[in-house]
Amino acid sequence: MNINIASYCRLTNHKLEVNDIDIQIQKTEASSLNDIYRHLNLSYPKFFKMDNLSKAGFLASELLLKNIIIDKETPKKDMAIVLMNRSASLDNDRTYQTTIQDENNFFPSPSVFVYTLSNIVNGEIAIRNKIMGESSFYISENFSPEKIYSAVMNTFSDPNINQVICGWVDYEFNECDVLLLLIRKENQEKIPFNVNNIYHLYT
Amino acid sequence: MEALILELKKEIIEVLNLEELTPEDINEDAPLFVEGLGLDSIDALELIVLMEKNYGIKLNNAAEGRDIFKSVRIMAEYIAKNRTK
Repeated sequence: MNINIASYCRLTNHKLEVNDIDIQIQKTEASSLNDIYRHLNLSYPKFFKMDNLSKAGFLASELLLKNIIIDKETPKKDMAIVLMNRSASLDNDRTYQTTIQDENNFFPSPSVFVYTLSNIVNGEIAIRNKIMGESSFYISENFSPEKIYSAVMNTFSDPNINQVICGWVDYEFNECDVLLLLIRKENQEKIPFNVNNIYHLYT
Repeated sequence: MEALILELKKEIIEVLNLEELTPEDINEDAPLFVEGLGLDSIDALELIVLMEKNYGIKLNNAAEGRDIFKSVRIMAEYIAKNRTK
């Protein structure tokens, strides 16, 4: 049994690439993430309630899984999610801080508060696709193919897991930095899942 | 009352990030939760904050929201009677 990279998506402020195909998006000044959502013709109003980190991970997962998960409604017990980033949920934490900063204008926002955890992006992807396997989120000072590889291989030590959505999902100071991979146990040989290939797809 | 209803619709769209809706899309007599706009429990908390922040109305019991948030019109009528700003 081989462990392959079945699909990947690279999303930054300047680049949107899915499985070697560059996707061009007409951008407005307001939000390029919203532009991508509209470009994809999605109908998922909850998207607009998400923080930027979740929006970035959600959009990358939609592109990653576009031709792979056709039936989003069927529970997927053999699929796990393993994500990592540098800035956790700091981007949204700062937004939340603005709602509680001024004691004379102290109105904590519940809808902002619910995104003050980085692993909420895992939940958004899992809910959208009914992914029922293990879900984990790690914080790392820098992008680390070695840590991603290690975390995914640990996840595959559970014999019930056959596929893992993994990668780097970071968003801070309007800078989006995402690499999502779909890793699968497969019989045929494709792009092998290893440290070098993770690094190659990121750079 | 119609002006307050329109103002409220705009505020609801803004605070709940209902980006794909315009005030005209919201039926002021339709239920806000489950049916209608399909809002959830976090949205209900956000509406409680909106009432206090914009109209000076503090709900002491979140359960009160069940009656007040039945529709935009009922919400507007409650605001008109109880607003302090």
